Amino acid sequence: MRVGVEVGGTFTDLVSIDERGAHVTKVPSVPSRPDEGAFNALLEAKLEIDKVLDLAHGSTVATNAVLERKGARVALITTKGFGDILFMQRHGRRQVYDLHYRKPEPVVARKDVFEVLERILPDGSVEHALDEDHVRESILPRLRDEGYGAVSVCFLNAYVNASHEQRIAELISEAGLDVVTALSSSVCREFREYERASTTTLSAYVQPVIDRYLGDFERRLTAAGFRGRFSVMQSNGGRLPAEGMRRNAITALLSGPAAGVMGAVRLAERSGFDDVITFDMGGTSADVCLVNGGRPELTSEFELEGLPIRTPVLDINTVGAGGGSLAWIDDGGMLRVGPESAGADPGPACYGRGGIQPTVTDAHVACGTLRPEAFLGGRMAIDAEAARQALAPIAEQLGKSIEETADSVIKLANANIVRAIQLVSTERGQDPRDYALVGFGGAGPLQAARVAEDLGTYAILVPPNAGVLSAYGLLASDYVQFETITRRVKVDDDAPRIVREVFEQLRATAVEQFEELGLAKAASLDLVAEMRFVGQAFEVPVELPAGELDELTAAHLRTLFDEAQKRVFFRSGGDRPIEIVSFRLGITAPVADIPPFDMEPDEKAYDPIAWRVFENGRWRDAQVRSRNQMSPGDAVAGPLLIEDTTSTILVPTGWSVRIDESAMLILKRL
Amino acid sequence: MQLDPVDYAVISQSVLAAAREMGAKLVRSAYSTIVREAEDASAALLDRNGHVVAQAELIPIQLGAISAAFAPCIERHPVETLEEGDFLVNNDPFQGGQHIPDVFIFTPIFVAGRVIGFSATCAHHLDFGGGNPGLNATASDVFQEGLIIPPSKYRYETDWNGGNFERLVAANIRVPSLTIGDFNSQFAANAIGDARVQQLCDKYGVELVEATFVELNAYSERRVRNAIRDLPDGVYHGEDAVDDDGLTDEPLPVRATVTIEGDRMEIDFKGTCPQVSRNLNAPFASTLSAALSSVKSALTHPDIPFNEGAKRPITITAPYGSLLNPKPPAPVRARLEASYRAYNAVMKALSQLVPEQVIAAGFDTTTALSLSHLGEHGYQVYIEIFGGGYGGSARGDGCDAIDSPLSNCRNMPVESLDTEYDYFRVVEYGLLPDSCGHGTYRGGVGFYRRYEILSDNVNFAIYADRFRIEPEGLFGGTNGYCGRCEVQRNGEIINVRSKDGLTLNRGDVLTLFTGGGAGYGDPARRDRELIRHDIEAGLLSSGVAERAYGFSADVIPEST
Repeated sequence: MRVGVEVGGTFTDLVSIDERGAHVTKVPSVPSRPDEGAFNALLEAKLEIDKVLDLAHGSTVATNAVLERKGARVALITTKGFGDILFMQRHGRRQVYDLHYRKPEPVVARKDVFEVLERILPDGSVEHALDEDHVRESILPRLRDEGYGAVSVCFLNAYVNASHEQRIAELISEAGLDVVTALSSSVCREFREYERASTTTLSAYVQPVIDRYLGDFERRLTAAGFRGRFSVMQSNGGRLPAEGMRRNAITALLSGPAAGVMGAVRLAERSGFDDVITFDMGGTSADVCLVNGGRPELTSEFELEGLPIRTPVLDINTVGAGGGSLAWIDDGGMLRVGPESAGADPGPACYGRGGIQPTVTDAHVACGTLRPEAFLGGRMAIDAEAARQALAPIAEQLGKSIEETADSVIKLANANIVRAIQLVSTERGQDPRDYALVGFGGAGPLQAARVAEDLGTYAILVPPNAGVLSAYGLLASDYVQFETITRRVKVDDDAPRIVREVFEQLRATAVEQFEELGLAKAASLDLVAEMRFVGQAFEVPVELPAGELDELTAAHLRTLFDEAQKRVFFRSGGDRPIEIVSFRLGITAPVADIPPFDMEPDEKAYDPIAWRVFENGRWRDAQVRSRNQMSPGDAVAGPLLIEDTTSTILVPTGWSVRIDESAMLILKRL
Repeated sequence: MQLDPVDYAVISQSVLAAAREMGAKLVRSAYSTIVREAEDASAALLDRNGHVVAQAELIPIQLGAISAAFAPCIERHPVETLEEGDFLVNNDPFQGGQHIPDVFIFTPIFVAGRVIGFSATCAHHLDFGGGNPGLNATASDVFQEGLIIPPSKYRYETDWNGGNFERLVAANIRVPSLTIGDFNSQFAANAIGDARVQQLCDKYGVELVEATFVELNAYSERRVRNAIRDLPDGVYHGEDAVDDDGLTDEPLPVRATVTIEGDRMEIDFKGTCPQVSRNLNAPFASTLSAALSSVKSALTHPDIPFNEGAKRPITITAPYGSLLNPKPPAPVRARLEASYRAYNAVMKALSQLVPEQVIAAGFDTTTALSLSHLGEHGYQVYIEIFGGGYGGSARGDGCDAIDSPLSNCRNMPVESLDTEYDYFRVVEYGLLPDSCGHGTYRGGVGFYRRYEILSDNVNFAIYADRFRIEPEGLFGGTNGYCGRCEVQRNGEIINVRSKDGLTLNRGDVLTLFTGGGAGYGDPARRDRELIRHDIEAGLLSSGVAERAYGFSADVIPEST
């Protein structure tokens, strides 16, 4: 049996899959003790734990440690003269006209920074040797006595020559100090000292937290008789055996949305769709991600609380447009939606918990696209009149009817989502019309059709159990790890040889680590060279064919680069010299036979219901069905609402829907 | 044309996004450290009449007056005469430009054979000729500051792209390989703006897109007028001064008179000193940007798109021949110093109206530091732009060590400088404890950056300000700190003036110290916890804590 457990803010979802099919368990989370929620779910699911071969876990433990500032007390050791590296940051402001601007707060206190005399030059030569005496006499005693939980080490130019950083690790270990030590040359071997130091320090900050959490978790599992493999989700969309994560925790940060993306990707693949845009819309925000050939796009840098982190992560773009996003009129008389949200409490006005401001969910109720009786499978009462009342003042100000106003609110939320999708598609040189849209999360299936109409999408997919897709995604994710290194190589006739060498070196490291984790079998490799014109500072990722490195030529490298940069900048950069700046190797051990995710057949069939939805400025009669009334083969034309236990799927006029053998709803334009 | 709020929202968001994308891609494809690392560049979309519709919020001083740089171009080359493939270019400080290195390029956007708008970019070019590499601190007229490109029209395919205009530019500048690359990035960014507007017109129709351009401006105008209407009518004054003109020790006063009448505001800089013979003069376009930035940041919500409409309720004037509206051929390279004092003078006037929204004076100075070297392979030029500490406010302490309000340059990674330049090395870079004014909320502290010189005959030039006149405290807060610059040579210290140049040799150590912002409110009311925190962080010495706040060191608990 395989089990995925996803601990969310409100609910902990568990999906167990065996030869009989999939089973879903939902229990409340215990925010202060995420593992408690997970074990409650295991109990509730009544699993025979010794029969579980594969347990995959997703949690926000690492992210929350940063958000709530509950990581380890970290010491930073850096080059003499640069102790303020994390406080100086990059000297620019994100909001240029904000007089009250504050820099993002680092996770290290200024008094916990230690400087050491040393300097390495960019060619790797040593200008000043490491002052080991100072380390032994002045730094190590303080590390020992002052209760640090972790040490972050970042020296200038250590991305070229790691020897001084490695020596610090040796000195710490020789002194018998029991602290986590994160070296910038291991965590993030790339140039730009602030970004590298920030990444390394965040890794050091969360690693003891993750280590303790996963250690306790494993012990409890073992005590309960678990003998299978325990793995955790990473921000790059792959999993890692827990012991791997306990060594380097940087990929645990922002791993939350990755599992949902992977669940959507795998289910879309089963239904024959490899190029998709995933669209996960919940109460406060929407996450979108572009997927080519079954592989989500990656980005090399992201930020948490404004602090930069450089490591390959799924390129997920988040906007403040959720079911709870508030509609309002600003002082210029303009209708706006979000980014403020009604949250879970009081929630939308139609929840009847005291919310009076209208939300996107209220707008759907007013337009008839969300049927009060069907909300969460009828488990929650919805007050349609409260939704209309909340919209009334705005309608009056705009001089429109309530349903017209509601329709505008939905369109505005849509506009924000469409923008987010354009950012990961159009602006990266991809046309969103070439992709199917996968809608999931509480509000994704409802909003997907509107988004698809604006984008010109040809198909929409709504997977089964769309509300617990993350827990399934954990099980459907491959084991993945990335190795990166900054090394500048001018593209000339000698370049292919160096490319082969560097990738061979990265491959050896990656394979060795995977073997240690018992994963090397059937591992595949992805190679990316970050390239640019000589003299530029930012690179374009260029994928290299792993199987054809032996035949690689300089001309081939140039062609690949030219294609990649043209997608982003719209024009060829000419025949100026180009260079490779860094290399990235991804190693993947695929999960064998990804299981289906069939619906549990516990829903009643509906009797015909007379219903209307507001569409294109008028009310139209619409059909209502429950999901299990859809059978493979029939195509039904909109307007139609399909309801299941977690969401409502809107099929507008001009679209038809069918269900396939994998219980996927597929909407296409008529 | 009646515009549906939804269409407006969708199209306006797309236009704003297109401007942001232009800015991001300009920076990402650039070559020089000043554009690609410091991000000293801006981008905007203009309507057919040259009114800014949307901008990428990068560098305020360049953004506020893009339309001023555009107007003389279109006057010479009316919009009806433009053809596809043309571009307009301008860097003339006396025809709407800023200073010489800031080159504005405008590309007309044609839809169905008609111009419906322009994509615009501005980049600060690393070296644009003139009497000294990078910057000429001693220029006595604008001709010594570099190559002037008057408002003109060229064709991309034939004049650039290996053509005669490109060759003319390349022949007059010291590092054409990087600078021409940066120009190409401007053209590429303009092409992206063009493509995005085309896509919008395809989808929504050109009428709707143009109607949205109009409404975007009207919308910002309404919101700015609403903000001004909330202020009491009256006449308010503010004043500050530039240290000196680089030749004498005489301060250069800048005076602002702000008049509020209903939903309109007038800012007049009468009483400001006459123009000077060195590069401290601010072209009127810079004065406009500075005054508008002060009003925008103190009075309005950050989400108001800053465009032509936002400027309509505000009239700005400065006497011709003054420091803030000089006659040609005055040198203007260091125009940001006078611009900052204009910004401060307006902020001080506004502090009487909206004391809770303004901040005390910060270091508010742009320090441009240039190190250049002529080696075997030609010139290498390094320029970096530095800020300092912000002023405190009613809401909190000023931000430490950050670029000043009219600029927004990032620092250059030391690892990037290590790779690009072999004649100097950054050896220290950090915060300066105690370098701020005190108050209920303190100013932000300044910082220092230290360079070791590795070759002989390194050309060093600097312009800065507030080396002598401190940022003024507000509502009982104490003054901020001045900056300074020094060279250590053979055990001796040479003090560098704020506008100066020097030849440096191997072994010299150059250090720039930037100042900190002034405090806001009575220091006696400062939260003891904040004082304790600053002492623990090493940003406040116990001696200063005692003097400024009467905070005694013996009550500080042992650090835990």
